[in-house]
Amino acid sequence: MLMIHPLVLAELEVGQHLYWQVGGLKLHGQVFLTSWFVIGVLLLVSFLATRNIQRIPSGLQNFMEYALEFIRDLAKNQIGEKEYRPWVPFVGTLFLFIFVSNWSGALIPWKLIHLPAGELAAPTNDINTTVALALLTSLAYFYAGFSKRGLAYFAKYIEPTPILLPINILEDFTKPLSLSFRLFGNILADELVVAVLVLLVPLFVPLPVMVLGLFTSAIQALIFATLAAAYIGEAIEGHGGEEHG
Amino acid sequence: MMNFVWLLAVEAAETVEEGGGLFDLDATLPLMAVQFVLLAVALNALFYKPLGKVLDERDGYISSNQVDAAERLAKAEQIAKQYQQELAETRRQAQAVIAEAQEEAQKIASQTVAAAQQEAQAQREQVQRELDEQKNQAMATLEQQVDGLSQQILDKLLGSLAA
Repeated sequence: MLMIHPLVLAELEVGQHLYWQVGGLKLHGQVFLTSWFVIGVLLLVSFLATRNIQRIPSGLQNFMEYALEFIRDLAKNQIGEKEYRPWVPFVGTLFLFIFVSNWSGALIPWKLIHLPAGELAAPTNDINTTVALALLTSLAYFYAGFSKRGLAYFAKYIEPTPILLPINILEDFTKPLSLSFRLFGNILADELVVAVLVLLVPLFVPLPVMVLGLFTSAIQALIFATLAAAYIGEAIEGHGGEEHG
Repeated sequence: MMNFVWLLAVEAAETVEEGGGLFDLDATLPLMAVQFVLLAVALNALFYKPLGKVLDERDGYISSNQVDAAERLAKAEQIAKQYQQELAETRRQAQAVIAEAQEEAQKIASQTVAAAQQEAQAQREQVQRELDEQKNQAMATLEQQVDGLSQQILDKLLGSLAA
């Protein structure tokens, strides 16, 4: 396998992982390595931006304030003026983590660092990461609805009519499923397309696809955060029935 | 080409055997979730809270400044209005004073003219009276003389007749 592999698919390694064994648990090492990098970048930038806070912002503080206002607007639009504040950290961290992950996967030549198995890439191209984020989103909106409306939250399952009960229950499963697979599929597919193109034509031709990849990466981060906020807002408002792509 | 397909198949088989593959869910999932929650908490303390506070404080600062400025503007406008009112009042008073003075002057002038006219009238009347008196005296004197003359004439005539 290791002999044949470089000949056949050269750089394409799909579904190969760097396994770490921690107390009988199997972990995907390459995902954690890049996610630690992403987390480190986020923490470092946040630290630098808030180290010397001034009323009239400049430089990094200005940039991060712009990011924060963007996140606040996103949460405000989806959740509503009254309730959005406690959810800003969750929605914002979703957006920032996914965005920086995606762009790090697209911009940083991780593949120059060789691992014994698998390869470094965006953490979001591993199904574990996206499912984790999607399940956290599910928990978040359940918690939001339950803490806001108590047991009345479950009335949403029979809301237009009780006939829709199965569909409403199904929705709770399709939401995390679609969230996780959308992100995972987009990022993985983008990296595969770039890898295949690089394999076929190493120079210049992959560049437009790479630029497109940057665009879709940013859009995916925005979509994930917006949908998470929309689900939370829906659970809090309790009108129900609104389906978001 | 056949070789290629065959090798792909081998690889697929291999990955399945290894337990790897695209949809390999394992302990990475919960650990990633925990890691993400920790990141959210850390960013909340490091990023959202301090910068959010700054944003809110700045909003408050700007809005309070705006309110303050609006208040001062209103005050300035009020003062300007008051000044205008005072100006108008003063102008009206000045007009009134001028009018009063003019009226008084008019009155004094007409009074003086009236008094002068009266005096002139009085003097004229007096002169007329004196004139009349002198005329009467003169007439009276003349009558006496006429009487005397006529007596003389009569005497003369009667004397000649008697003689």
